[in-house]
Amino acid sequence: MELYSPEGLRIDGRRWNELRKFECRINTHPNSSDGSSFIEQGNTKVICMVQGPMEPVLRSQSNPNQANIEISITIANFSTTERKKRLKNEKRLVELKATLERTFEQSVMCKLYPRTVIQVNIHVLAQDGGLLAGITNAITLGLIDAGIAMYDYVSSISAGLYDTTPLLDLNTLEENDMSTLTIGVIGKSEKLALLLLEDKMPLDRLESVLAIGIAGGHRIRDLMDEEVRRHGNLRLSKVNV
Amino acid sequence: MIAKKQKLSSGLTVTSKVFVRSRNGGATKIVREHYLRNDIPCYSKLCHKCHTILKPDSKGELPRFILSESPTRLEKEGSIHYVVVDTNIILHCIDLLENVDCFYDVIIPQTVLEEVKNRSFPIYQRIRSLVKSDEKRFVVFHNEFSESTFIARAKNESSNDYNDRSIRQVAKWYAEHLQESNEDIKVLFITNDKDNLQKAKTEGIVDAYNLTDYIEELPNADVLRDLIPQTSNNESFSSSDANETSYPEYYSNSRVLGGLKNGTLYQGILNISSYNFLEGTVQVGAFKKPLLILGTKNLNRGFNGDAVIVELLPKDKWREPSTTIIEEEVIGADDNADDDGDEEIEFINDKERRLLAQEAIKETTAATSSTDGAHSRLQPTAKVVGVSRRSWRYYVGQIAPTSVSKDHDTGNSAKSCFVILMDKVLPKIRIRTRKAKELLGQRIVVAVDSWPSTSKYPQGHFVRCLGEIESAEAETEALLLEHDVEYRPFSKNVLDCLPKEGDSWVVPQDFETTTKRKDLRDKLVCSIDPPGCVDIDDALHAGILPNGNYEVGVHIADVTHFVKPNTALDSEGASRGTSVYLVDKRIDMLPMLLGTNLCSLKPYVERFAFSVIWELDEDANIVNVQYMKSVIKSREAFSYEKAQNRIDDPKQQDELTQSMRVLLKLSKKLKQKRLDAGALNLASPEVKVHMDSETSDPGEVEIKKLLETNSLVEEFMLFANISVARKIYDSYPQTAMLRRHAPPPATNFEVLNNMLAVRKPSMPTISLESSKSLADSLDRCNDPKDPYFNTLLRIMSTRCMMAAEYFPSGSYGYPEFRHYGLAVDIYTHFTSPIRRYCDVVAHRQLAGAIGYEMLDLSHRDKSKMELIVKNINKRHRNAQFAGRASIEYYVGQVMRNNESEQEGYVIKCFNNGIVVLVPKFGVEGLIKLELLGDVNSAEYDEDKFELKFKDFNNKERVIGVFDKVKVDVKSIKDEVTGKRKAQLILK
Repeated sequence: MELYSPEGLRIDGRRWNELRKFECRINTHPNSSDGSSFIEQGNTKVICMVQGPMEPVLRSQSNPNQANIEISITIANFSTTERKKRLKNEKRLVELKATLERTFEQSVMCKLYPRTVIQVNIHVLAQDGGLLAGITNAITLGLIDAGIAMYDYVSSISAGLYDTTPLLDLNTLEENDMSTLTIGVIGKSEKLALLLLEDKMPLDRLESVLAIGIAGGHRIRDLMDEEVRRHGNLRLSKVNV
Repeated sequence: MIAKKQKLSSGLTVTSKVFVRSRNGGATKIVREHYLRNDIPCYSKLCHKCHTILKPDSKGELPRFILSESPTRLEKEGSIHYVVVDTNIILHCIDLLENVDCFYDVIIPQTVLEEVKNRSFPIYQRIRSLVKSDEKRFVVFHNEFSESTFIARAKNESSNDYNDRSIRQVAKWYAEHLQESNEDIKVLFITNDKDNLQKAKTEGIVDAYNLTDYIEELPNADVLRDLIPQTSNNESFSSSDANETSYPEYYSNSRVLGGLKNGTLYQGILNISSYNFLEGTVQVGAFKKPLLILGTKNLNRGFNGDAVIVELLPKDKWREPSTTIIEEEVIGADDNADDDGDEEIEFINDKERRLLAQEAIKETTAATSSTDGAHSRLQPTAKVVGVSRRSWRYYVGQIAPTSVSKDHDTGNSAKSCFVILMDKVLPKIRIRTRKAKELLGQRIVVAVDSWPSTSKYPQGHFVRCLGEIESAEAETEALLLEHDVEYRPFSKNVLDCLPKEGDSWVVPQDFETTTKRKDLRDKLVCSIDPPGCVDIDDALHAGILPNGNYEVGVHIADVTHFVKPNTALDSEGASRGTSVYLVDKRIDMLPMLLGTNLCSLKPYVERFAFSVIWELDEDANIVNVQYMKSVIKSREAFSYEKAQNRIDDPKQQDELTQSMRVLLKLSKKLKQKRLDAGALNLASPEVKVHMDSETSDPGEVEIKKLLETNSLVEEFMLFANISVARKIYDSYPQTAMLRRHAPPPATNFEVLNNMLAVRKPSMPTISLESSKSLADSLDRCNDPKDPYFNTLLRIMSTRCMMAAEYFPSGSYGYPEFRHYGLAVDIYTHFTSPIRRYCDVVAHRQLAGAIGYEMLDLSHRDKSKMELIVKNINKRHRNAQFAGRASIEYYVGQVMRNNESEQEGYVIKCFNNGIVVLVPKFGVEGLIKLELLGDVNSAEYDEDKFELKFKDFNNKERVIGVFDKVKVDVKSIKDEVTGKRKAQLILK
């Protein structure tokens, strides 16, 4: 399969710097959670539900200085083409969880909520590459919906390197075949809250991959912002009435 | 399944591709996104609209428009045209697409490209390189991603029908799209699929043609008609003999896969014996001995070099390898090219059967007389049941004179005739041509199209004519083609990568500030090469340090300064792999400008170099070694002879000569060390052909002479290679480009040792324990009466050796890096980057290792390195063969004028002939029994390697291996293959 043709088209018809279809909704589950969101990045679909800030069940879990963020991830058995049963404590998932918790502890103003816990539940319904990016974006929106104070958006996107060409927002086929970098960009800045690279990438190419990643992150932020404002306006119109 | 479409804010439309995949009995539904876009240009220079929609790629470059504004005209209608091709045209007529006389401005729909890729990857690559070179103006149009040409698959539509419809849509769209810009243009749709053609016509694509009709439309149809492959219009073939199956059918794919898995079938490369075209061997990992495949029926349409699937035959059919010479020309000479059915029902004709019978008789007698001896030589036999990969390429040959009718009445209709290939282990090929008579006596190139089970010979088509047989040009081109050497001039995009200054390029004066190069212009550097050498890769210098040690520097042309990775120049060099040296011609790996000027370390001018500088003590041990990119200025370019004279002349006391004496002294020490470690000194019957400088006719043949200075240069090159190998392996343990030489397997030497024991009992046997013991035992094998005997033995041992090979360091463990012949633990090629690609890679890796520049990704990636290595190994081998073939041809020409009596040595014995090597010319030739004497009196003693026969004077003679014989050497032209070869006649 030709992942990137000499004519400059990728396997699904995109060019090198194009995002997949990105759609998001917030406040999707207003009754069962404090904040919720649903995102689709290409064929990757993630639901996020946020509870809190609330008092922890166990005393031991509370931190007198700041809020604890607890993330749980459930990946549906039907999320990949091959049906597969996944254990809750699978190594990859545990690692993913730790990465996410660390990312958001820095982006959420945890100091404002001492002795509380923020519970984030993730459900991955479908996977088609960019799993970590999708989850990160879903959590950002979920936290915003829950009204938890954050410094800025964390918008996340994956990027890879095909030969010498950087490619933005990889799908599964591409992800299987090249080294993938996932980054989380803070707002419209060039600061990163998250950077994950699980295989090798030549150092002299890294910069170009980071550059399209950051540009892609900014576009994702705009799309998320649009949704947040749309939802905000909707709420506002209800309050006025 | 009609997927919904959705317009995105970015201007793309997304839909989905849905398909069902079944694996292990279960079905999986797969959904993939599919984006449609409106910014795919038509790539035509005629078009006014597409220039506004372009989008740049990651390097900021916009796509270029390729299709010409004034394409070729059709003869009848007079309008200019572009061509849209169907998959079947590409698959079957790729040669025609590559032909320079037709098919310009071709549009290949993405759908077609995908289909081609799934069917045949090599053809896909050829198409891709056609598109890339833009000489023939091919473009790929991504119709499936374009909003205007994407069509959704209809319900219950087969994928084939859907693809055909997509392709027709492309033709339709192009015609409409270009019509708006230019009224005169036609877009022709060419397919050989009748159904598709029919549908195109009903759908209103008027300009749909099949290939034959299209060629007729062209002004140069006469030239092209013969080039149309057979398969494209083979109805006449298949209908006439469809009822007759001569060869066994191949097993089905699933059966082959199953068989390979459960171990009943084996896969390997078919290797047909060069002495007997009815016998092939397949080396299979599971067996120690190769599997023997006997007879046309068991060979079952396998070509030499094909990857075949074989099945073992029962044990009672196991045989010894034959000791008889069988050549196809003798047996199949009377076959008629036109008739295909009647005779071949029996398939084995009488002559063949007689030979088999002789074999069988010998078999039984051997079995009764010495059962144990026969059993040890018994080999398992097998038959071919499938071909997994054909080795088909272009073949060079000539039309068999007997297959062309001499009548004058033949009109312009196509006739079948046989083409006999230069490579003797291949069968003849049947082609259809209208020009058979014109082509008689010419070297021609043919391609094989197919070998149906109903046809005794493979079918092919004529590609082009090289010229008259035995003309130097035709023969040279033929042998380049035969050995798959790329000899076409460098294309424009390659030449564009050269420095713009051309010949006037000089070393920039500010190099010290702008680069990390060291200034070594004050060193007394000189180069020593063969006389007349223009591509000087290497230069040397030496001096004495204050502490009494020596400083020795090897400077290699800095080719990688000009050949940057990922350029057209680099990929061309990588695919050529090596320069090829023929007697009268050199095929360069890199363009002349680099090889003979900018990179060449010419004297008196400044050049960029890559230097290795050692500090050596009195015994030539390394105290210190440094690697650096540098600028040098060579003081003098010597020939071996001139350098030797200067060193030997006691009157010369200048510094340069002194330093050369230091070099010579150290090189002798290095050589001694190498020999002590067990380096081999093997021999090959290499000769050199002197050319008359005015007429460029070959003059005389000379055996290559070696001077001390030859080995001076050689020693330091080896030394540099070893040092560099260690350094790059240290920095890149997985991907360093190295060269290894495996020790020879003992079985290779078995026969030779047997011969020695029987024929020369006084000689010690050759020991294989280590390269040291092999070298020693070869040294001991001296016949005081015959000084050449030792050389002969070395020549024969060389043939038992494994070939050295390039490899990336990750593919073997460190102990296997050993270079057996040179007796070093690690080795690479670093010193000739102008003519070998391995050296270019080694240069880049060394530059990376010393932190001069970043190493390119492709030399850090194991799988990419594997690809590079595979190619250069193949190219290296082919270049050697081509060089030898060229010498062979010229030796033949030389002998034409001087027939003489020479001394020769018997190196092989068969029951109907002997093989004799003539050292003077470096030729070996077969003398058949018919030329030796009475055929019926001959007796072959296998255990003693002797042939006993009565010669024409009725005198009894016994000739065995290693015997020195007198032979008459003359050159004769083989009427069948058109090859000139040495004819030896025993005195």
